[in-house]
Amino acid sequence: MGSMLGNLPSFDPHNFSQLRPSDPSNPSKMVPSTYRPTHSRTLPPPDQVIATEAKNILIRNIYQRAEEKLRSKRAATEHLIPEHGCKQTRPSTS
Amino acid sequence: MFKTNNVASRIFERQIRTPAPGTSVHSARRFYENLVPSFTIYDVECPDHSFFKFTDDGQYFVCFSRNRQDLIVYRPTWLSFSCKGEDCDNNQELPPQAKRFESFFTQLYVKPLASCNELICKDFFLYMESNQYGIFATSTAQIQDARGTDGAILGVPSFEKITIHLFRLEDGFKLDEKVFHNDCVNLTHNMGAFLYDDLLAVVSLRYQTIHILQIRDSGNLVDVRAIGAYCREDDELFLNSSSQLAGNRGDLVDNGTNHDQPNSNNSFLSGIKQRLLSFIFREIWSEETDQTQRVQCLKKKFYFHFQDYVDLVILKVQFLDRHHLLIKFGSVDVGASRNTDQLPAFFAVYNMETTEIVAFYQNAADELYLLFERFCDHFHATSINSMYMNFISSHSNNIYALEQLKSMKNKATSVSQVLISLSEVVTSLPFYSFLVYLWNSLWIFFLIRILPGMFVKKMLSSLPLNCQSMSPSPYFDQSLFRFDEKLISATDRPRQSTDHPIRFISRRQPNILKFKIKTGPEFGGADGRSKKYSHFLFHPAWPLALSFIQPSLFLPPSAVNIHFRR
Repeated sequence: MGSMLGNLPSFDPHNFSQLRPSDPSNPSKMVPSTYRPTHSRTLPPPDQVIATEAKNILIRNIYQRAEEKLRSKRAATEHLIPEHGCKQTRPSTS
Repeated sequence: MFKTNNVASRIFERQIRTPAPGTSVHSARRFYENLVPSFTIYDVECPDHSFFKFTDDGQYFVCFSRNRQDLIVYRPTWLSFSCKGEDCDNNQELPPQAKRFESFFTQLYVKPLASCNELICKDFFLYMESNQYGIFATSTAQIQDARGTDGAILGVPSFEKITIHLFRLEDGFKLDEKVFHNDCVNLTHNMGAFLYDDLLAVVSLRYQTIHILQIRDSGNLVDVRAIGAYCREDDELFLNSSSQLAGNRGDLVDNGTNHDQPNSNNSFLSGIKQRLLSFIFREIWSEETDQTQRVQCLKKKFYFHFQDYVDLVILKVQFLDRHHLLIKFGSVDVGASRNTDQLPAFFAVYNMETTEIVAFYQNAADELYLLFERFCDHFHATSINSMYMNFISSHSNNIYALEQLKSMKNKATSVSQVLISLSEVVTSLPFYSFLVYLWNSLWIFFLIRILPGMFVKKMLSSLPLNCQSMSPSPYFDQSLFRFDEKLISATDRPRQSTDHPIRFISRRQPNILKFKIKTGPEFGGADGRSKKYSHFLFHPAWPLALSFIQPSLFLPPSAVNIHFRR
């Protein structure tokens, strides 16, 4: 068959009989299709650096839960620091 | 992964096929299904030492002398022997030279570790793999009536001198040591210390301080910080200078050295106690938005228990990563005892860099249990350097271990479900009285609230985890083998032994026995009734294991067996 691989044994010699390996005298007419983006909305910022998160997943989870608790009571925490700025606990007023 | 079970065809398959991404270690471990320690040499003649542990990289075998004064280190090797004659391959019996302890272990050195009045803590050993350093501990005897010195809490025993030694295991050269005087560090099973990478945390129970030490490559033990009465390195200086200005510390004698610990005369709490109490306060404060509700809440939850919170003591500590510690707090009478399962325990996550408490979990908190269930691996806090320590089976990385955990959990809740329905049946009977109703409601309360809580508490009682307490041997990998956890497991503790061999059954081909560990010839007759304890040490990488049979927990082993692949 004049194949590049030589006369190696094959299961069925008629397999690949239609295939013509590409040669420079007869260039193939197939051009691989290329895709180009139509917009630049999804481009990464030019200074983006992707790095591994230093904290492991357990620590991340613990911090996340702590922040969630704080966030859901955000109105309460605004009154946490008393007006005078001192850190003494207030005695009960009732 | 592998199509066949035959080791030769598996090797050929390995040549042509790459494993799925991220599974190269699991794929390599499957060869352990083919290489199993199925041959046993019973009752090996071995030197009279107290054999302790293989290091996690399998390079050294650490033992202590019977009088607990010397360190003896062996190098595990493999037996080699030659036999003369025609039919050597089919010999069932090994030649007698091969059956000795020395065929498997070569002694490297014997070094004195403890001086005359000290004893080696034979349950304590930490291994730093990157430099092959070993950390040992010696201590003197307990002082009977310890006086309360400045800064020490009462109710905790005192030891005159506890020393942490740093050794280079390659040649037994002692590199450095750290001494604690008149202190108490819980050294059994590595409970009072935790090694993460090159950082060592040691909990001084008596002075309520967590000492963080760094092990340098040069072999020095360097103090990094001491968390307890002070959080940052310059806290002591700051507090001293400000109190001198305010003049409210005139009653304390300034020693000019250190340990100017706060006592009850002080006007405020400092250090980690202050961080903890202020975190609890702020958490309760932020729960309510209404001002009066908030104050009521504080009174009920914080001020009512204020003295209990102040009396909490640090019991145990572990690293979660380089900056975060998981600290277990409890009451002082728990300090030196071991059975802490049923006593209340509180956990806090502390960031050493920002000196902030990140989270606080009260007794048997479900939140902490959920984190433990999902991320158990990260509680083991293995350093990045030792890869295989990340593959120890736990219920977060192994589906079979997770199934076991779920079935335990279901049992705990289903028992309560069954009894709830039973008590409902009883209450619906026509002749129930008020007393029966009361009894049943108490019972239902117990079942709904207390029983699941007991399961959570039992699981959380192992936190913070002991450092390097699990063997990395692939024979304990739950996805390769199924074995009875009550008889043998990755945590090497002496267990009651049985007459029957311990079976390791393959997971992938169900019900096919891969190998058996038999601890001795079948006991019968005179020995029948006596309880024996057995204890196993598996080499981390080789198909080699040692088993020890002890008549009681306090006596030396009466028999040592070697299990290996012949």
